[in-house]
Amino acid sequence: MSSAAAANPPIAGGLPAPARQPNATVLAAIGAAVLPTELGAEGTRRAVSDFQRWMDGYRPSAEANHGYGTGRIQHLPADPRPRWRSQLAALDQDARRKHGQSFAALARADQQSLVRAAVSEERGETLPTPLTARHVALALLAHFYDSPAATDLCYEATIGRQQCRPLSTASQQPVPLTRRGQ
Amino acid sequence: MSVLVRQGRPEVIESDICIIGSGITAALIAEKLTEERQARIVVVEAGDETVPLADRPAHRARFVAYGENPWGVDHIDGMTADGLQSRSMQVGGLAMHWGGVTPRFSPEDFRVKSLFGIGDDWPVSYEELDPFYQEAEERIGVAGEQGPAEMDPRGKPFPMPALPLTYNLERLKRWTGDSGIAMWSQPSSKNSVPYRGRAICCRNDTCSPICPVGAKYSPDFTWEKLRASRQVELMSRTLVRRLIVDDRSNRIVRAEAVRRGRGGQAAAPVHFRARTFVVAAGYAWSPHLLMLSRSGRFPNGVANRSGMVGKYMTGHRNVFAFIRLPMRLYPGINEQHSLVTKQFMRVAGTDRYMRHDLRVWESSVGRRPRLRDDAGAVLLGDELLADWRERTATDGTARVRAYYDVLPHRESALTLDGAATNEYGDPRPKLTFRDSVESAALRGPTEDAIKALFQRMAKAGNGDIIRSGTDDFQDHPGGGCRMGNDPATSVVDSYGRTHDHENLFVVGAPTSVTGGCANGTLTFLAVGLRQATAIGREFPARRSS
Repeated sequence: MSSAAAANPPIAGGLPAPARQPNATVLAAIGAAVLPTELGAEGTRRAVSDFQRWMDGYRPSAEANHGYGTGRIQHLPADPRPRWRSQLAALDQDARRKHGQSFAALARADQQSLVRAAVSEERGETLPTPLTARHVALALLAHFYDSPAATDLCYEATIGRQQCRPLSTASQQPVPLTRRGQ
Repeated sequence: MSVLVRQGRPEVIESDICIIGSGITAALIAEKLTEERQARIVVVEAGDETVPLADRPAHRARFVAYGENPWGVDHIDGMTADGLQSRSMQVGGLAMHWGGVTPRFSPEDFRVKSLFGIGDDWPVSYEELDPFYQEAEERIGVAGEQGPAEMDPRGKPFPMPALPLTYNLERLKRWTGDSGIAMWSQPSSKNSVPYRGRAICCRNDTCSPICPVGAKYSPDFTWEKLRASRQVELMSRTLVRRLIVDDRSNRIVRAEAVRRGRGGQAAAPVHFRARTFVVAAGYAWSPHLLMLSRSGRFPNGVANRSGMVGKYMTGHRNVFAFIRLPMRLYPGINEQHSLVTKQFMRVAGTDRYMRHDLRVWESSVGRRPRLRDDAGAVLLGDELLADWRERTATDGTARVRAYYDVLPHRESALTLDGAATNEYGDPRPKLTFRDSVESAALRGPTEDAIKALFQRMAKAGNGDIIRSGTDDFQDHPGGGCRMGNDPATSVVDSYGRTHDHENLFVVGAPTSVTGGCANGTLTFLAVGLRQATAIGREFPARRSS
């Protein structure tokens, strides 16, 4: 093995495949409640699955990218997943206590109402980053809205932010997004 | 924690030229020397090997997903300092995570004393550097657009066509034109066409910190080529701690180093003997090494009879703003590419010295999705998307930034920190940047004038300032071994040769006299390539050169 490989072992595939989580049903229901309906059922499933895969691949306290203008080495936050798992369970318990049904079985408006109450502590106007979100519902929301797909959805155009794209098309106005059914 | 260094006879490695440091200047100097001269070259790098290109897509994926450092083992615990601009100590140095932005300085940067009566002139002119700028641009591959000739003088065309202006930048260029400012595509070391075996830019937006396809130049590409052809020997994980001067002359006879152990093993002593020593360890570690090399005969370190080692550390500050404009932009088309102008760098003599660059980018500031609406209500589901769409439908944001020239005080200095040592027991460096008295007096008026310019630009576009500020650190640092013709006020001559030791050179960033008002890397390279001509002169020419 070369010394380069010894110092920096390759990261196979970048991100892992999604693993089944114990609270996957509640998470999927949160996705359906907080993500835009325009995504459709398939798009929502994909967004939740991407979030789950992202969670599974997180390495707590890994070294963070160096800040600009400083020699300080920083590390990523501690593992938020235990907290998020309890929040999923708590949302389900809230649903059963207040409505007599599981969170997944509630109407969307009731689900949103429970989520709103759960995220009320997040005081800022802006969305937090997924890793700094205090609540799992916000982490899911932030993860989706940080994605290139969300930017394209907002602008209704194929921008492809952070994707490899031909340099030659950079000067063109991004092509309108093809809406489902069109 | 201290590290054990194995006792006993050190390994001895001999060469014609020993280059200390493997950053971008070292890479280009080594490449030039191997092409032009017959000399055995050994390069010594304290840090580890870098992440191979093939692994960068996976590392980038984790940077994008989580913000992880994509460069693996890229620093050494304990090799740090107060005031460092950035941490990167591995093969390739700081330029492993640079942004690839490569403007030239303007002719005025080298003659501020003569033209404006302030600061100091460099002992080399823009005209003398022009062919070396060109050489640097060709070696690393620079894509650039020729600006108006009176603003952007150059002897030959750029080696690659400019990176195309994005749809967003084309719109912003019309706006700056309305503000009376001529702007063009920022020269960048990113391939607009395939170049020297490297891929074309695919505008994936993460140039800094990591390009996953190799379209942005990084020094490891040069090292890989030179190592594969056995033209240089590059030893990583080897920290040079002292330069030793011959007892009977002023020549450097060896560099004493340690090869860092792995997994708690003791470090092993290594001595490098060479005819010529080239210190290419950047703005911090170059003066640091010279100062650490103090002895009874040289109590202030080598090359430091003038007391100038570590003095006149250079850099520049910036004023920035985000401007709302009534035009729809699409953030993310090529976020790190920008417009640039030298209109404010090329000023005639004025009552009050003020020079700065100006760059303009697309931005998403003020146009990102938000959790709460203006009334403070939490937005979820369709409401959040609708709110985001409404705030991006007709308005866009421009990011503007101006680097302004900060002239260094003599005591803008790197010193040895008496209170902190690295794991080998050597004092750490300590950096304190300080404006010269005249430059400090100009700071307020300069920053006010730049902010007023931003206001005028906003007004010309029927927009307004979202927020503005000043980055308080000095960017693109250099100096500490500044060049000059007078041995009493400088450390090296314009060719990087130390005034005190005929076979010791310091190259690139540390030899800067001032920080100019544009990103410094290309200037460090041009200066370094010119310095390489003097380094190589003592060795036989290759027949083909």
